[in-house]
Amino acid sequence: MTDAKTSADAAAARESLARARREIEEIDRELIALLARRVGRSKEIGTLKRIAGMPTLDPAREAEVIRRAASVAREQGLSDEKVRDIFWQIIGLSRTAQTEGE
Amino acid sequence: MVIITRSGITDAELDVIRERVEQRGLRTHLSRGVERTIIGCIGDESLLAEVPLRSLPGVEDVVPVLKPYKLASREFAAMPTVVRVGDDGGRAPLVASFGGVGIAVIAGPCSVEGAEMLRATAVAVRAAGASMLRGGAFKPRTSPYAFQGLGDAALRMIAEVRRDVGLPVVTEVMDPRQIDSVAEHADMLQVGARNMQNFSLLSELGRVKRPVLLKRGLSATIKELLMAAEYIMAQGNRDVVLCERGIRTFENATRNTLDVAAVPVLKRETHLPVIVDPSHAGGISDLVAPLSFAAIAAGADGLIVEVHPDPASALSDGDQSLSFDAFRLMMARLTAFADAAGRTLVGARPSAAGAAA
Repeated sequence: MTDAKTSADAAAARESLARARREIEEIDRELIALLARRVGRSKEIGTLKRIAGMPTLDPAREAEVIRRAASVAREQGLSDEKVRDIFWQIIGLSRTAQTEGE
Repeated sequence: MVIITRSGITDAELDVIRERVEQRGLRTHLSRGVERTIIGCIGDESLLAEVPLRSLPGVEDVVPVLKPYKLASREFAAMPTVVRVGDDGGRAPLVASFGGVGIAVIAGPCSVEGAEMLRATAVAVRAAGASMLRGGAFKPRTSPYAFQGLGDAALRMIAEVRRDVGLPVVTEVMDPRQIDSVAEHADMLQVGARNMQNFSLLSELGRVKRPVLLKRGLSATIKELLMAAEYIMAQGNRDVVLCERGIRTFENATRNTLDVAAVPVLKRETHLPVIVDPSHAGGISDLVAPLSFAAIAAGADGLIVEVHPDPASALSDGDQSLSFDAFRLMMARLTAFADAAGRTLVGARPSAAGAAA
């Protein structure tokens, strides 16, 4: 009886695990879609900046993005240092997108 | 430069200070100590000339770092760095630490010659108190005709022995193209003396999430060694352990001359852990124990020692390898030197992830 119960528990755990993994895959897809949207917007901004005669690189704006990300990360219970690193990478993606037209 | 903050500074205040620095296009690096937190600024410091950093809330002092190495410099960290090896998700069942009060000893064959000899060595050195295993897969030999290592086959043996015996493993990487496969199988990546100024290799290692063991070049100054560490750290990897392994001098009774003074000088200049390789420094097995004692007395955080089941038949560096018995004896005697230096010889410890599993 105990063995049967254990194997039923194990099967249920495996099922939950598979579900959680599918959910993570879905989240990853959404994250990438959001990144693509961010890059798309950055390209537009790059074009607008060129028309307005403004420099493409804006360190002050980047610093603000990073500060906000760190603060939101802490609210969400995440490591602000790790999230800072991730956002510097994301800013890198957007920078490349903005300067592509130059 | 580094910004020293007042005790009790809030996260929001830290964010504001970092934003003011980053607005000028520099990057910041935070180091939290027990008593104070330091913000290191990386980039063109002249751009900060007009920023009134000293008057920002939470700032106690602003100190220029005059050394050419910044991230590696003592001033950049609130506390000495402790590098933990094997700790990422419990890859190796055991964890080794460099820096802090403990002394860690890495031991193993110069090159992996087969799975059985590696396993026997791992079991013997673990029992003798070593906390990590070494073993070369790719060997940079002075002669192109000498044994070059077993390559990928050795990496698979390393992974197998690590799993069975539990010790985290360090192995050398010679080429940026090898980094991914070596990082997959080993817990720490070694840059050999001959590659200390291979800047493309160093930069690539800076992007890897594995601690790096950086050996001093044969003719490199301490400053050049620290600049090499800076290359790795500048790319984001802050887990660097420095290794003094002897330098070239006119003396030819020994393979190289162990620069014992490099240990206290490095400990003064950098927050990074410093270990010593007595095997390559002396080049003769009889010298390994006395040079190890000298290294620990000088303040080294650890040793990397060549040990072979049968040194006389080793395919490389047999003259400087210790037998299992000789290694056991040396480790037993090392304890007294560690005590005298106010340190403790620490073997491998279960990783948090391993204990939870």
